Amino acid sequence: MIATDKVWPWKLLLAVILIVTAAGIYGSVSRIDYEWRWYRVPQYFLYKAEDVIKTPFDGVVKNVSVSGSEAVVDLVSLDGEQQQLIVDGETVKVDAGEDLFEGDTIGFVYEWNMGPLLTGLWTTMWISAVSSVFGLLIGLIAGLMKISKNYTVRTLAAIYVEVIRGTPLLVQIFIAYFFFGTVFNLDRNVAGIGALALFAGAYVAEIIRSGIQSIAKGQMEAARSLGMSMPQAMIDVILPQAFKRILPPLSGQFISLIKDSSLVSVIAITDLTKSGREIITSTFATFEIWLVVAAMYLIVTSILSQFVFYLERRYRVSD
Amino acid sequence: MIRAENVTKIFTGRGVTVRAVDGVSTKVDKGEVVCIIGPSGSGKSTFIRCVNGLEKFTEGHVFIDGVDIADRKTNINKIRAEVGMVFQQFNLFPHKTVLENLTLAQRRVRKRNKKDAQEKARALLLKVGIGEKESEYPSRLSGGQQQRVAIARALAMDPKVMLFDEPTSALDPEMVGEVLDVMKTLAREGMTMMVVTHEMGFAREVADRVLFMDEGKVVEEGTPEHFFIEPREDRTKLFLKQVL
Repeated sequence: MIATDKVWPWKLLLAVILIVTAAGIYGSVSRIDYEWRWYRVPQYFLYKAEDVIKTPFDGVVKNVSVSGSEAVVDLVSLDGEQQQLIVDGETVKVDAGEDLFEGDTIGFVYEWNMGPLLTGLWTTMWISAVSSVFGLLIGLIAGLMKISKNYTVRTLAAIYVEVIRGTPLLVQIFIAYFFFGTVFNLDRNVAGIGALALFAGAYVAEIIRSGIQSIAKGQMEAARSLGMSMPQAMIDVILPQAFKRILPPLSGQFISLIKDSSLVSVIAITDLTKSGREIITSTFATFEIWLVVAAMYLIVTSILSQFVFYLERRYRVSD
Repeated sequence: MIRAENVTKIFTGRGVTVRAVDGVSTKVDKGEVVCIIGPSGSGKSTFIRCVNGLEKFTEGHVFIDGVDIADRKTNINKIRAEVGMVFQQFNLFPHKTVLENLTLAQRRVRKRNKKDAQEKARALLLKVGIGEKESEYPSRLSGGQQQRVAIARALAMDPKVMLFDEPTSALDPEMVGEVLDVMKTLAREGMTMMVVTHEMGFAREVADRVLFMDEGKVVEEGTPEHFFIEPREDRTKLFLKQVL
């Protein structure tokens, strides 16, 4: 028999499965009484803020000149003080020569602002980024401690890993904020990042330990036989190889961290999840917002996986 | 140059104790080539690994240029920089190019600058016959080429002694010759060498002295002429009958 590996029938099958699933979901949703209000979502990404521009003093409008979308209004106070105000061209409420009293509306200015979904996303990203860096650092130290020859050092790291892996992250965040936060007077962000970093560190420690131990013993022996010290051999020979090997599980851990960071919303950090919840309380657009929030997490994590995929390909040159 | 006194290595585990190396004493003078032969599991590899302290021995002393490596005050890294070692499995650094394999320890341990290290590396690569491969990664090289790079890497440190731990045992037969040729050249140039090997032809041709080990002990020791033509011990005779 000649082996044929046509892909297109399988692609077709995949498309059919996806379409049927989507249609099924659509069908079920349309059977319940839910009014979709997608048009309400965009304003939570970006919105136009309106600012009223008022006269700062009693006086006269000396001149109004409209150029393009903006209007420049020159005012002169009763004491001869001059002031120039800029407002949106279409909203200008005064004419040249008009007498004004302090607090009269001259017009409006508009400004694009980030809505709660974007500010929440930003919070999620920087909290995840900072926790990742500290998590990697803690994990590297704990991972190296775990393979130490010294009993105390080794056991300390093992206890840390066991305690963290054996308790739920949500509980750790509560303890970090309500217990350590109170005792050491920590800011909620510090408590949240600390909890996430310690949590990630425990998993990273195990990944790094297994990565180092997966490197053939001969590598360390070769480096040491050339007179390199233990730290030199670690830094120049073992860790670069181990890092390449653990890149997939490590990136998986950091992608998890981005998702797990949604739990810090319980200590009132306004991350993406908490922003979503806040929007829902004022709009009741429950379905739309949660779907959008999920999509936003998915986009961030996909970008990260693509980046890691690129790194993996780059490191493959020495294989 | 190298003096081993009563070196003993005991492995313990699960209630079993194995005397892998059992009271081996020998010495290697400057410029001498000593081959260690013996059946598998005779402790010859363990012994040569004790010589540069890769294996911590249980008893005894190894003096390199008069410095006792078992002494806690000895800086073992400094000693190892003077003692090159070549392994059965090559153990090249797979994430570094051939040139970087040769320059890494020169720069980190010998503190040479990049230019000097690379010059030294290129000269040695030419010497072992792979000058054109300097920017390849080890995985692109054949076993014989990798082992020659490994020899060059050890030589780049300007060692006073070279230890070879079964350098041709992991090679395809057609590549054994190219590695042995490099080793012969080294021997001819007066390098002090200690070689654990199964290549009897090499031992016979190059060695100044042959050590036969079995069950962790040196059974017989002598010049190749004595050793291969008129061995004294029955154990040696039996071994030679099996391998020759």
